[in-house]
Amino acid sequence: MYGTGALKGMWITLRHFMATFVQDVKTKGRWVPPGAGTATSIPEETTGYITAQYPEVKLPVPERFRFNPMLIYEEETGDIRCTSCGICAKVCPPQCIWIVQAKDSAGKTIPQCAEFYIDTSICMQCGFCSEYCPFDAIKMNHDYEISSYERHESWVMDMQELLVSTRYYAETHPRAWEQEEAQRAAKEAEKSAVER
Amino acid sequence: MCRARTVGPQGIVLSARWAPSRRWGADGGLNLGKVMMNDKRVRNPVRDVIPDYEAEFGEDELLEQSVLVTTWNKLIQNLDVVYNWGRKSSLWPLGFGLACCAIEMISTAASRFDIARFGAELFRPSPRQADVMIVSGTVTKKMVPQIVRLYNQMPEPKYVIAMGACATGGGPFKEGYNVVSGIDKFIPVDVYVPGCPPTPQALLQGLLTLQAKIMGQSIKDAPWYRSPASDSIPVPILGPDIVDPRQIPVIEEKIDQQEEPGRETKKKKHGRVKVAKIPEAELEVTERVAQALRAKFDERAFTQKENALIVEPDFLPDVARTLRDELGYNYLANLTAVDYIDEGKIQVVYHLYNIETGGPHVYLKVDTDREDPQVPSLVPVFRGADFQEREVFDMFGVRFLGHPNMKRILMWEGFEGFPLRKDWLEPYYEQEHKPFESRWPEGHHRAAEDRVVWGKNVRYPPGWDPKAWDPAREDVMVLQPEDLANMGDIRTEKIIINLGPQHPSTHGVFQMRVLLDGETIVDLEPVMGYMHRNHEKIGERNAWLMNFPYTDRLDYLAQMGNNFGYAITVEKLLGVQVPERAEYIRVIMAELNRIQSHMWSIGFLLNDLGAFFTPSLYCIEEREMILDLFEMVAGSRLMVNYFRFGGLAWDLPEEFLPLAKKLVYDRLPRAIEELDRYLTTNEIVQARTKGIGVLPRDLAINLSVSGHMLRASGVNWDIRRKDPYSIYDRFDFEVPVLYGGDIFDRYYIRVLEMWQSLRILEQALEQLPEGEILAGRKQWSVRVPAGEAYGHVENPRGELGFYVVSNGGQNPYRYHVRSGCFINLTALSHIAKGHKVADVIGILGSIDIVLGEVDR
Repeated sequence: MYGTGALKGMWITLRHFMATFVQDVKTKGRWVPPGAGTATSIPEETTGYITAQYPEVKLPVPERFRFNPMLIYEEETGDIRCTSCGICAKVCPPQCIWIVQAKDSAGKTIPQCAEFYIDTSICMQCGFCSEYCPFDAIKMNHDYEISSYERHESWVMDMQELLVSTRYYAETHPRAWEQEEAQRAAKEAEKSAVER
Repeated sequence: MCRARTVGPQGIVLSARWAPSRRWGADGGLNLGKVMMNDKRVRNPVRDVIPDYEAEFGEDELLEQSVLVTTWNKLIQNLDVVYNWGRKSSLWPLGFGLACCAIEMISTAASRFDIARFGAELFRPSPRQADVMIVSGTVTKKMVPQIVRLYNQMPEPKYVIAMGACATGGGPFKEGYNVVSGIDKFIPVDVYVPGCPPTPQALLQGLLTLQAKIMGQSIKDAPWYRSPASDSIPVPILGPDIVDPRQIPVIEEKIDQQEEPGRETKKKKHGRVKVAKIPEAELEVTERVAQALRAKFDERAFTQKENALIVEPDFLPDVARTLRDELGYNYLANLTAVDYIDEGKIQVVYHLYNIETGGPHVYLKVDTDREDPQVPSLVPVFRGADFQEREVFDMFGVRFLGHPNMKRILMWEGFEGFPLRKDWLEPYYEQEHKPFESRWPEGHHRAAEDRVVWGKNVRYPPGWDPKAWDPAREDVMVLQPEDLANMGDIRTEKIIINLGPQHPSTHGVFQMRVLLDGETIVDLEPVMGYMHRNHEKIGERNAWLMNFPYTDRLDYLAQMGNNFGYAITVEKLLGVQVPERAEYIRVIMAELNRIQSHMWSIGFLLNDLGAFFTPSLYCIEEREMILDLFEMVAGSRLMVNYFRFGGLAWDLPEEFLPLAKKLVYDRLPRAIEELDRYLTTNEIVQARTKGIGVLPRDLAINLSVSGHMLRASGVNWDIRRKDPYSIYDRFDFEVPVLYGGDIFDRYYIRVLEMWQSLRILEQALEQLPEGEILAGRKQWSVRVPAGEAYGHVENPRGELGFYVVSNGGQNPYRYHVRSGCFINLTALSHIAKGHKVADVIGILGSIDIVLGEVDR
């Protein structure tokens, strides 16, 4: 009989529907935002999950989350880490990075970039640039809330628009930051030991 | 630092993105300090276009207005608030998806992100009922006429969201010859959402941005109350390239100024080329087969070279028949061609497998002249060659003599040139190989549009006259006279209906041209190419490593599997040993991927059967958890880009294992069991699926279908067992086989496979060793030894194969993707005939295609 199949289906839906009220009663209407206080949004329960109430409550993104690339400068000194070695531009699969190497007054190239562009209407957010950068100068930003009314100007990002401080990077990528700083410190120590 | 803000009626504070302080990609919401390099950092030419809502609708002012209405203008303003609030809270999107972004769009509509909270959950199948068009994914030239038509059919006021990099500006596929660099070249766009793909939350933010824009409009100057409401946009024409009718005068004027890009012939710099080692097993099989063939054919028929048999074209059908009937090589896995331009030949290559015993393949090659390439068709021997030969014709211009339907398959009839030939260059052609020299060290940004006289990704043949072009209706299925004669006494009329390319049941942009007699399907022809993103042409320009993120975008529901396939194929040539731990993680990822992909497939099969969206919602629920794991490990929900040659990009983060175990031991078994309990025995599901679309065993093998389609038709063929790769031979699991060959079995085999995947996962998670995850050093430039390799993996949608040819350089010489879905579609017209039109939707759902892989 066909009726039973349809009824069974509706019963399932009804049960899911009622379960939300049970949840409300259990939590006294104050639902816990998913992933609050943890690095993940996988809930404790073994079934179902709670809708992320974007934009009031945002799902946390993991540290490795990739959105558009960003360039990093040192908080204290204001130095931009990029040495314009060009690896990111060479490894970029859709070739969306443009770099102009800086030159000193004598016309000799110096390890700094004069111009740096990323065309985000081409970028595929693969993360190769940050993965293969030997100077930790380019990283993947977490900010995904960047929709716009226009693209021809604002989507081609120049160096100023790409720059963020080390403090920002340390805040979004705490583990990578710690690891990189430790490596840097070890390298420094080794260097000074050799000098001595 | 003025940030335009508006207070929505629900009290949500929306920060709009146009304000100069909010330059995206910068400090995010943290408002941290920023170094000032020069004074030009504030630049915003569009500022004037955007109304300043703060001034117009400040919170206090709103209150004041509602109490005290003094002037006509204030009345209008009050009316506007109500009017706009009503419109912005009931934005009904058009239910259509183009590519990978559509998957994220559907996830946004599912229960976790729940677009219904913004009144935008009613995805309308008809443009007549839709307010907003979310252009979700790559817009191809073949598809853009349909999109413009849909846009014209939408009633005013209408809005367009360009979702993701591709819809906005062509994205990573911008250089492709079939890709439109931005939908805004054809229809006006209101909001651009960046991302590749944008996460569901990014899309929601885009929707909020659109709502903010709507709040700024006024009933006073609304263009849609004027007469005429709006002009329709002329529909683009498929000529030798896409033609925008508005541009025809310009085309006539400038056709002579068009520059033909020349192919540079760079001398090979690498002097000594390393040659890849051919596996012993392949040489052995070739030797054995060659001996057996020698007994039957004279020496003119073929020559043996390494692991390949170079067959003379005239002997090809006979050799293939002998291989199939006498030697057991009855499964044509892969058929493609390579353009050896320096030698003046095109080589068609075939990979055959023995479906009963498994093991290495037999590799046939046929050489043909580049000027007039023709090869006998293998369709009489292997019907699975049908689409693959058409693809070779489309891309290389090789004519297959005796093929029943020799016409283009991915591009449209009338397109100029054969794109995969080495001397055919796209309009945006810059250089033969990446990296391009213009990017560094003198990399002044210059858009590809500026290099082309049209400002668009098009090129027309010299002297072409757009006015004289007859946009002939492309191969429309028409009634044959004998059909009309055989209609008998009862006056019935056969009708042709086109399902797709914009149709909720086609799982993307795919068209079925169906000839109907009443409700019964008499004939069916699949039409594809609406999402042909030129994966292979771009892949041959890319360096080896660059293809990893592109493979993510093939079958965007099976990202890890795609990475896996490409990695093992190139590793065959590289000859690297992948570390133990990396192998285990690879398997864990591939199997998690299989479960999430099967979940999606089952959900949407039920969708096709009429259980609209409810089962899908329950399936997407579990899938989201797995995507969370992917995001945690690899950084992206869909485009994982996680595998590298010789290992993986990153090790697992420490929280991965506990969460993965929780999923695998608690959550997923429960979910799969629930799915099984609710669906498998459901009488409606059974009535709609049992005995429908039966694919018999022998036909299945002959049609070269793979994966679940073979196993549901009683063939025990699973590449993880029959041609084991990675470390699958260490795990204890079974290959489920069902014998009905109908929709039900193709559904149920997925449930069974998910249980087996869980079994593998349990073992792999327990045995996961410590150690390295990458063989050797991290390398951004990889040089692959010269040679040819075909590698394949068992993906959720069938066999995914990669055929690569290396000449020892940094780029593949030939890069071909053997797509499971594409070849599975060969079976569609065979199994759909005779069924009702409602069943064909279910049949297509059970074949389960992902257009990213079908069209590549």
